[in-house]
Formats: sequence, structure tokens, C-alpha cells
Amino acid sequence: MFVLPPPPRYPTQAAYNAAVAAGHATPLIETNNILSNPEDSFQAGEGTYVLKEDLHLATPPPHPSEAPILNPNPLATLPQPATAGTRISLITLDDKAPPPAFYRLTSATTLSASIAEHPGEDRLSHDAKLSSDGEGRGTSISDGPTSLTAVSAPAFGEGNSLLAPEKTKDLNKRRKPKNNMTKSNSSFISRVIINEAVSKKLLDRPGDGVFAFANINRAFQWLDLSSPSKADYLTKILFTKAHCLSHDVNLVTKGPGHLDVVMGFSTGEIIWWEPMSQRYTRLNKNGVINKTPVSQIRWIPGAENLFLAAHMDGALVVYDKEKEDAIFNPDEEKPEGEAEPRTEFSKAIQVVKSIHSKNQKVNPVAIWKLSNQRINAFAFSPDNRHLAVVSEDGTLRIIDYLNEKLLSLFSAYYGGFICVCWSPDGKYVLTGGQDDLISIWCPSENAIIARCQGHQSWVTAVAFDPWRCDERNYRFGSVGEDCRLCLWDFNVGMLHTPKAASVRHRGSISSRVPGLHRAETQNTSISRLRSNSAVSTADDDEEETISYPVEPRSRIPILPPVLMKKADKDPLCWVKFTEDAIMTSCKSGHLRTWNRPADNTAS
Amino acid sequence: MASMSFLNKWKPGVGGGLANGTKDTQKKKEEPPPEATPLEKMLQNAGPVRQDGSDNLETHVQALYYTVPFREHVLSYPPLSPADTPAEGYKPKVNVVVRAPTENGNAQNGNKPLSTAEALARRKQINSGQVPPGQVKPEDKPDSPEWKKKQAMLKGPILELAQENPGAYGMDECSFTGLRDIFMTLVDSSSRTGVLSPQRFLEIFKRDNEMFRNSMHQDAHEFYGLVLNDVISNVEANARKLLDQEARRAQDGLVKSVESALGATVTHASNGTNSPGTGWVHDIFEGVLTSETKCLTCETTSQRDETFLDLSIDLEEHSSVTSCLQKFSAEEMLCERNKFHCDHCGGLQEAEKRMKIKQLPKVLALHLKRFKYTEDYSRLQKLFHRVVYPYHLRMFNTTDDAEDPDRLYELYAVIIHIGGNAYHGHYVSVIKTEDRGWLLFDDEMVEPVDKHYVRNFFGDKPGMACAYVLFYKETTFEKVRAEQEAEGLEEVRIVSEKANMAQETAAQTNGTGPGLTRQATQPISPTEEQALVNLDHAATAPELPSNPQEVSITQLDGSAPPTVASLTRSDTKPKSDKSREKKEAKAAEKARKVAEKEELKAKEKARKEREAQLREARKSEADELRRALEESKKLAAEEEKAKKEEPATGSTSSPGLLNRSHRGSKSMSRRSFGFLGKDKARRDSNDVAPPVPPALAEEESVEQSNGSPSKPSQTQATHKVKERFSFSIGRKKSTNVLS
Repeated sequence: MFVLPPPPRYPTQAAYNAAVAAGHATPLIETNNILSNPEDSFQAGEGTYVLKEDLHLATPPPHPSEAPILNPNPLATLPQPATAGTRISLITLDDKAPPPAFYRLTSATTLSASIAEHPGEDRLSHDAKLSSDGEGRGTSISDGPTSLTAVSAPAFGEGNSLLAPEKTKDLNKRRKPKNNMTKSNSSFISRVIINEAVSKKLLDRPGDGVFAFANINRAFQWLDLSSPSKADYLTKILFTKAHCLSHDVNLVTKGPGHLDVVMGFSTGEIIWWEPMSQRYTRLNKNGVINKTPVSQIRWIPGAENLFLAAHMDGALVVYDKEKEDAIFNPDEEKPEGEAEPRTEFSKAIQVVKSIHSKNQKVNPVAIWKLSNQRINAFAFSPDNRHLAVVSEDGTLRIIDYLNEKLLSLFSAYYGGFICVCWSPDGKYVLTGGQDDLISIWCPSENAIIARCQGHQSWVTAVAFDPWRCDERNYRFGSVGEDCRLCLWDFNVGMLHTPKAASVRHRGSISSRVPGLHRAETQNTSISRLRSNSAVSTADDDEEETISYPVEPRSRIPILPPVLMKKADKDPLCWVKFTEDAIMTSCKSGHLRTWNRPADNTAS
Repeated sequence: MASMSFLNKWKPGVGGGLANGTKDTQKKKEEPPPEATPLEKMLQNAGPVRQDGSDNLETHVQALYYTVPFREHVLSYPPLSPADTPAEGYKPKVNVVVRAPTENGNAQNGNKPLSTAEALARRKQINSGQVPPGQVKPEDKPDSPEWKKKQAMLKGPILELAQENPGAYGMDECSFTGLRDIFMTLVDSSSRTGVLSPQRFLEIFKRDNEMFRNSMHQDAHEFYGLVLNDVISNVEANARKLLDQEARRAQDGLVKSVESALGATVTHASNGTNSPGTGWVHDIFEGVLTSETKCLTCETTSQRDETFLDLSIDLEEHSSVTSCLQKFSAEEMLCERNKFHCDHCGGLQEAEKRMKIKQLPKVLALHLKRFKYTEDYSRLQKLFHRVVYPYHLRMFNTTDDAEDPDRLYELYAVIIHIGGNAYHGHYVSVIKTEDRGWLLFDDEMVEPVDKHYVRNFFGDKPGMACAYVLFYKETTFEKVRAEQEAEGLEEVRIVSEKANMAQETAAQTNGTGPGLTRQATQPISPTEEQALVNLDHAATAPELPSNPQEVSITQLDGSAPPTVASLTRSDTKPKSDKSREKKEAKAAEKARKVAEKEELKAKEKARKEREAQLREARKSEADELRRALEESKKLAAEEEKAKKEEPATGSTSSPGLLNRSHRGSKSMSRRSFGFLGKDKARRDSNDVAPPVPPALAEEESVEQSNGSPSKPSQTQATHKVKERFSFSIGRKKSTNVLS
């Protein structure tokens, strides 16, 4: 086995290298990031995307104190810890103009759907900017959270005064976590390596530069992508045993001197970390609230303190970063909530603890139990009203999280769902899963719009490209276990009139006609059809059906990709569109940046 | 949990040494044993040398056994009142010999004492030297697979299936009767544990399939095909025989009708749709493929339907089963040496061909072609591509007129090949049972595994274990949902177990104190540590420039109590504003420690309870064992008798051999492709010392005839030599059928 670099003796990398050269120190399995510039490109309708660079984020070796898990018996039945490839979030401190698509969408009258029922729709662009899609380059509003709650969607937990964040006098002075990370003696954190020039780097960097946060196995890295030496992390944290599965940066509280990052771990624990001051707080310590791994974690849009964690036992838990943990006893909630425990999860969500609960002195703030199946991902709608949750059992749930109500439940063609995202206008939801398909859903119509077929393995991430979306046409990208990046152009109108459409639209959508039924799709998407193995709509004809059956393949338009590109050697696990590039990451930690076509950036 | 063992010392004269045993994994897993069900019986290969393909026999017999409709049909065929059956209502009883486990598992192998060692050697080889020499033997290490297998040898009643009783079924001895006996025995046996030795089945199977007569490592998929094919042909032969008999008995008018019925079935058979008697085999496993060939010269499209019992699919790196299935239906150009004979333009033409599924089978067996023939090495290479497979599946590549094209399938069995190439290795299977969830069948060892374990064999994990054959069975969406809701709690248990694993170790490190923790935050390489220890006694010298923190670490490294650690640590801090924070931290630390201790205590308690339960369980197990011993003693005498009778039965079986010419008419009509043919032949000639030239020639010709699909089936049916049938449609690349 290997040992970690001995920091006290060789305070700088140069000194250590010298020592290795002189034979004083043992060379290590190197875990430094490597920046390389392999040549690659791909051609889409709008031009050529060129691979700008490949930043290899080092996967840390297992901790030395950990017994090597090298069990040569391939049949060993030991449980394996949950891991999630490389997840990255990008954040800029500058309040930059949001993607152009948002503006266009605001003015459009075609905005629809469930969103349109709500007043204040005209504030959508505002909302969109608040989207706490942590990966989001979406920018937040600088004038603080108080104004945020005034926009269309009511703030989460409104009406429960106990949840109102304590007003801080100075908005620039944010509350920091309690413990010092560098001086920590927690057994949870193995090692914190801070770039020696971090303060200088932070001063020198351009104001609109992009920070990247990345979790790779038991490591968590903070990088400055605007720096010329971007391979050098600003901070790297190594955890002892737990793997960080997901993280998110709060877009409301971010500022030049403050960033709120939450990380969810394979042990169920959560860390709130403030990178500028290197302070942290542990939440759900030793799993007192929930013992199962956190598959995804997100700040609640517009909230300073509240974030939502998806635990793998099928529970969504809202935490407050500043509250203490307490062992949660669901019985205490019973009398007031009067929600009789439901055994059947498919019809509703079980509110184990409501946000309206009077007991809000400690964490958890709220617990919603969706099912007993693992939740793989969730996403907040751009208008901050809805939540789309996908699970390992192949269900997509649209939840009105402000009212803690399940609105609809859809099912995958087969297999589990892995990823989910909303279109920038909130009309559509994309899911990717183990059926190798991306499904386009329209929650307002409670229907599946199309299935996108093109990946050769499971789809691990989907994202819209807001710079190439307008009122009618949507561009999105997806990556999968097949190492491929696919780009798709989707236009609802086109799907209904496939033949004409295939010629027109940007010359890129070509719809393959799946069968004779194509013309029927518009009607059938709403009416429920039965096929032998497809579902009964069932639910005993409640007045409000929320569970929708699987539509047979022949009824649903099939969308082919406009581009398929093997983007890496290893299975991909993340994709993100920025103003001038597409970024992908793979399981082994390669963060690749594909520059957009040069002529396109101007438009 | 029970097991069945295949006696692989099947050669005449080596009969005595039965290595059998039982074991109760349930008890090992510390669960109270539920009441006995015959389904728990499982096949097991106690025989240590498994190069003769018996371990792949085992995995497949398991898979077949747990294919519920197949099992039920096998058990209910033939219907219990055929004209020949002597007594109505007489329930055929399988000749089962119950043996006592001997005291020493190895002693059972008296005749072949080396075999266990050989098996272990093989295993070691597979695991690539996991056991360094001089250590405990793997079989002595508790909880190792070897140990578990040895335990299985030492326990339990042994069911030895040394003889067939084909007479009871009104059939000649054949693979079908053998298989049926195995299933019958499993169902009849009331004990939940045990080992069954299907010696006779193996014997018959080898008799009928010459390529299994050597001691080479055999292909599991091939075996599956052969067994199914044998079953079909045996049952058909029997059906025909019955018809003949009835025809003879019947008077003039009847004769004609029966004949026409027979004729009808024969024509049916050539269409590949239905046939008498074995309808059920086809019902379960058979699907229909349509291949569309479009001649590029005259643009005419010709269609042909063919049946299949499984699909052999080519693999690609980083793909899913779904996409491999789609590739299977992708268009293929027939050109150059592989041109298509167009009836319309008359002559070989370039053509486009694609295959779609017209009729989906109830049970979909997918053979992942992990063994590819490489010209460079002129041998089979194993592909370690990562191919993901979902728990549920629908087929995309159906024809437009297919019935229920959205049929939902669920994964219920995976056969796994462990090993580096096609010539060595080991087969195990993971099977979902109705009442006990997923079980791992590895020779004598049966272990319950969780659902996610099934995903360990995508092919990319170390250990060279890859899924090789996947069995999907049809299901409905409602059933899946109901099951998912039912298994919900189990899911929760699994995920919390996973999380706990990390937490427990974290707790342990806490327990050993901050020494470790500190070391973690500031790791010291061993050499450095030593240096510091040397410095230790000099630490009092004030002028020493060494970092006081580090010194304290070395002091603590030994056995200093944790609190001291935090003290020394705080000493290094400036005292001013930190003191209060420090106190708070200490209090918190203490509280946490207390909590942890309590947790530990609780755990300890739980463990003790479980131990008590376990002891209880062991006791009852011992009782059972004693009873079994007594029983076996009683049976010993009968066994002797049975052995004496054996030669007699052997001679009666010889007509069966002659009857072979009857068999297989139906299966011949199937498109058969020696999917292993070429390589097999090559292998045979390479590896088996005296190749049998006539047989080879025969094979080649069969292959050739297979190549021209229109060949009438009946001519093939008269082949005396045992042909190889594959239901594989894996001959997409007709030049390299196996790859």
C-alpha cells in the first residue's frame, strides 16, 4: 500500500519533489490533478465544438487506515459503499447576465402550464435566475433573500414563523459554520490540503471567474477554473471513509467573502462548509436523523439556510444548516399532523414531519417519505414551485413541495431512472434511466411527450442548453455509461407533424417515423391506453388520478439525437452547458471542456 | 437451503466415492430457519473436478429448475395415465439413495483423494493467488467459500441419483427422464437441506453428447441448448411412440385420423411452430424471429420466420443489454463471400438483411457472447466488456405485427463465468427464487444475496466474473410494482447496511482514540515515526526545533487515553479565546463517546442474542443429522441390493440407445447452427489427444448443411451421429459463428 504525502516535512510540492529525487522520501501514487490538451472535436448543426482541455481530477486512493477492500473473491457478498462518479458544480461570484434564453422566454406568451395557474408569472425570469441548480451558472440576485420571497412562488415554509431565518444586520456578514476545518481532529475528515497561495489567488482572480467544486470518491476539491493554473486546487479535502456523493452551493448567500457548500455522504452524514474561512459543521452526525446515503443534496431555491437531501431509503429530508441535530421521533408529529401512516406509497407522499410543524428548534425541518426505494436524483422547477424526483424503481414524481403534495407519478419504460432536469421555462421534465432512453414529460398535461433513443447504455445525466433554447425549440444534452455525449433538438410541434418537421427545423431534427401510429400521438398522450404489459391506469378511478401508466412504444414519438459523440474513455456522469462551452465529466475524473463553435458565441 | 451434488465420478468403476453434504446457509446467516420447502433443494456439485462441465450443468439445472413453468411441466409430463403405465394413480417414485455424510469430508473422496486439492488449486488459480503459501488452507478459513463448501460436505442427508426410473414414465432412459428425476427428487424431498447427486443424469447426458465426454471445461450456454434440445427431442420421441402404439391399437378409420394428425404435426414441426407433447417447452422458451432480406438488385424483400430458444448477442464495450439487442436487429449487408441467393433474380446478389422478433418468448434467455475467436491467437478470448443489464427489460426490436410488443420482462437468473478465458474457469449462478429472494449457487455453497449483488457482474469489476447468460421471464407492470413495494423494507435495510459499513469503521477509529485520528489528519510515514520516537526522550530539551505537535503524536501513538490527546492538542493553541470553545468541544466529545459506548453495548447485546439463537439452531441441526444417519444405515442394505440390480437396468437401457434414431426429429427442423462448431472442432482436434476423424467430418457436413437453411429437416433427422444443436441465432456473422 501507499501512504499519503507527509506534509509537515515537505511543506511545498517542490521540496517534496526534491526529497523524492534525493531518495529521502518514498514516491507516492500521485494524486495531483493533471491538465492536458488532447485534440478532439465534433460537428453539430451549428458548427464545430472543439475540445479545449481535459482536466483530470485525481481520484484519491483509499485511506491507509482503511483495511484494503481487495477481496480477490469476485463472489464476495460484502456490501459495497455507495459511490457516485465525479459530480461538479460551477459557480461564479459575478452577477452576470443570465442565459439569453431566459429573457426570450419571459416575453413569450406561450408559457404555460401549471406555472400559468399561478399569479406572478411575469416574474419568471426572476425565478429562473434563482434556480438553485447547484451546477448552475445561474446567477443570484445580490439584494439578499428578503426580496426573493416576494416573487411569484411563496418561500418554502412560509406561514411558519418558526422557520423564518433570523435577520442578520449586515447582509455581507454571513454566519459561518462552527468548526475550523484545518484544525479539525474529527475522525470524519482525514486531511485538508490548502493551496499555499490561496489568498493571493483569490485576490488576483477576475471577478467573473468560475469556481468549480467537485466530489470524486472520498475527495472534495475546490478549483478556480479562471486561473491559469487551474489544475492546482484551492482546497482539497480528503475524508476518511465516507464518500461524498453530491454537493451544492447556495446561490443566495454567495459573495466574494462567503460561499455556503453542503455535501452529502455515503454514510448519510452532511457537511456544511464555508470554503473562504475553511469552517464547517456536521449535520445528521452518525446518521441520527437518517442513516442511509445521501444521493443528492440541493439548497432550497431562495432559502438561505434550508436545503433538501434525498436519502436512499426514499426519504426527502429538509435540514437547516444552522440547527442542531436531534433524534427524530415520528410519533411526536402524529397528533398535530393527523396524517395516518400510509402503506401504499404510490398514491401520495407520506409527510413524516411537515414544514408546518411547530417543533422547529432542531433538525430535521421536514421529512417526506416517498417510498422505500432509493431516490436517485431530484430537481427544482425554475419557478421554484415544483420538485421532480426520480427513483431506482423507475418512477418520476412531480411534487408541489410548498404544499407537500404529490401531483403526479409517472413510470419509466422499464428499469430505474438515474437523472432528471427541468426545461428552462419549466414546461418539460427530462429523465434518463436504465432503459437507455431519455423521456420528455410534460407535467402540466400529465403526459409523456417523446422518448429519445440514441444512447447505448444507461443515461446518467441530462441538461438543457439555455443558450440554444427558445420559445419553441429546445436543445438538450445527455451523457451516459456508454461514454457518449448526445445532443438533441426537440420541438413539440414537430413531434406531431413529423414528416414536415424533419426537413425544416435547423436541418437537425430528423424524426424517424416509428410506426403508423405517429399521427395519433396528440390524442393518445392524454388518453390512457392499455396493452397487456402496460399498466392499468387504475387507482380505482379516484377523482384525481395521479399515477399514470406506461405508454406503449408505438404510441410515443421517438426522437433521434442530432449528435452522438464518444466524449471520453470512461463512462460519463455529468454534463453542463455554459455560455461558451459544454462540459462533461467521467467516472475516473476527467473534466472536459468542449468550446462552442466560434461563430455562434457572438449571436 | 439445500443442495444437490452432481457426482462427477461417473465413470464406471469409480462409483463408490460420493462426496456429498449439506449445509444450511440460512443458519449461518443467523436467521431462524423457516419450515422446510422442497424448493429449497438445490443442485450441487460435490465433485471436485469440474472440468467436465458439471458445474455448468449445475448452474443451468438450477436456472431451469427455477424457471417455474418449465419445472411444472417437466414434473407433470408425461401425464400420469399413459397406456403403458401399469397402475393408475401410481406415483412414480424416484430411486433415491440417502447416504450418510462421513465424518471427514475428504474421506468421501477415497477413490480420488486428489480431487479436492485439485479443485482448490483451480479455485486458487482463479482467484489468482489470494492465499499466500504457508497460511491457513482456504477451506479451513471460516466463511471462505471453500470452508462453506467443506461444511456442506460434512452435513445432511445425501440424495444420490445413481439410477433412473424411466420405466415409470413410460419412456426410455434419456436426458429428459434424468432431468425429471432430479426435479422430482427435489420436490419430493422433505428436508430443507441436502445434497443431490444426479450422477445418472450426467451419465446419460454424456452418453448422448459426445463432446461432453472429455474432461474439458464446457460452455454453459452450449449446455443449456443441449439440455433443452434433448428434452424436446426426448419428449417428442416419446409422443411419437405413443402415437404409434395407439395407431397400432386403433382400427382402420382411426389409423387414418391419427396418421393425418401425425402428419399435421410433422408439417407444423417443419414450420417450427408446434409439435405434439413438447408444446410446453416451446411455449416457454421459444420465440419467433423474422429475418427480412432485401435484394439490392431487384429490390424484392423476402421474409422468413425462424424459431429460437435463446438469443446470442454480440457485445460492445460500455454498452447495455438493451443496445446489444438492438444491434442484433441492426441491418446487415450480405456481400462478397456472404452474398444472398435471390430467388427473384436468380443468383447470388448483394442484399440487406435484418432480424426482428415476431413472437416474444415467455422466458427470454440471452447469451452474451463473451468468448470471441481471435485469429491472432487462434483461440477463444474472453471479452471483459462492461455490459450493464437492468432488472427489467422490454424489447425494442419487435416487428410491427408482433403480439404485445411492449411485453415486460424481469431478470430472474444470471449465470456467471469466472475466469480468464473460455478454456478454464468456473460457473456459478445467481437466481431469484420465489420465496427466498436472490440466492448465489456456487457448487456446494448456497448463499442468500441482496438484490444489488446481481449488479456485480457487469464485467468491469476485478475478479474476472462476468454475467454470461441472462434469463428474463415475462411479468406485468402491476406485479413489478407490487414487488417493489413489498421489497421496500429490504431495500431500506440494504442501503442502511451500506451506510453503516462506513459508519462502523468510523466509530472504530473513534474508539481507538484520537491517536489514529490525528495520524489521519497528519499522517506520518513509518520511517518518520521511528525518527520521532528516537527524538522522544530528547523532547525535554528546549532547543530542539522539532514540532511539539508531532512529538505529542508519537507519545500518544501508544496507549494514551483520548482525553490526553485533546489536551496536548489544545496546549499547542493560544489559550486566550479558545479555552471556552475547547471546553465545549470536550463536552461534546464526551457526550459523543458515551453515546458511542452505549451503541456498542447495544450492538454487543444484539450479537449475543443472535449467537444464542444460532446455538439453538445448530443443536436442532445436529439432531436432524443424527436422524439422517440412522436412516441412511437402514438404507445401506437396500443400496447394496440396488447396486446388484444395476447391471440389469443397464442392459435394459441399451434399447434406448437404439431408439436414438427416433429422437430429435423436431429439433432438427429448428434452424441449427453449430455456433460453437468450428471452434469446437478446432478445439477438439487440438486438445483431445485422438481426434475422431469421422465424427469431425460428420460435424463439418452438419455445419454446412446448417449453413443452407432450407434443407429439409427430416433428412437431418436420420443422422446417426449426435448432432449439435444450438438455438443460437448468433450466426449473424456467418463467417464466425461463435464470436
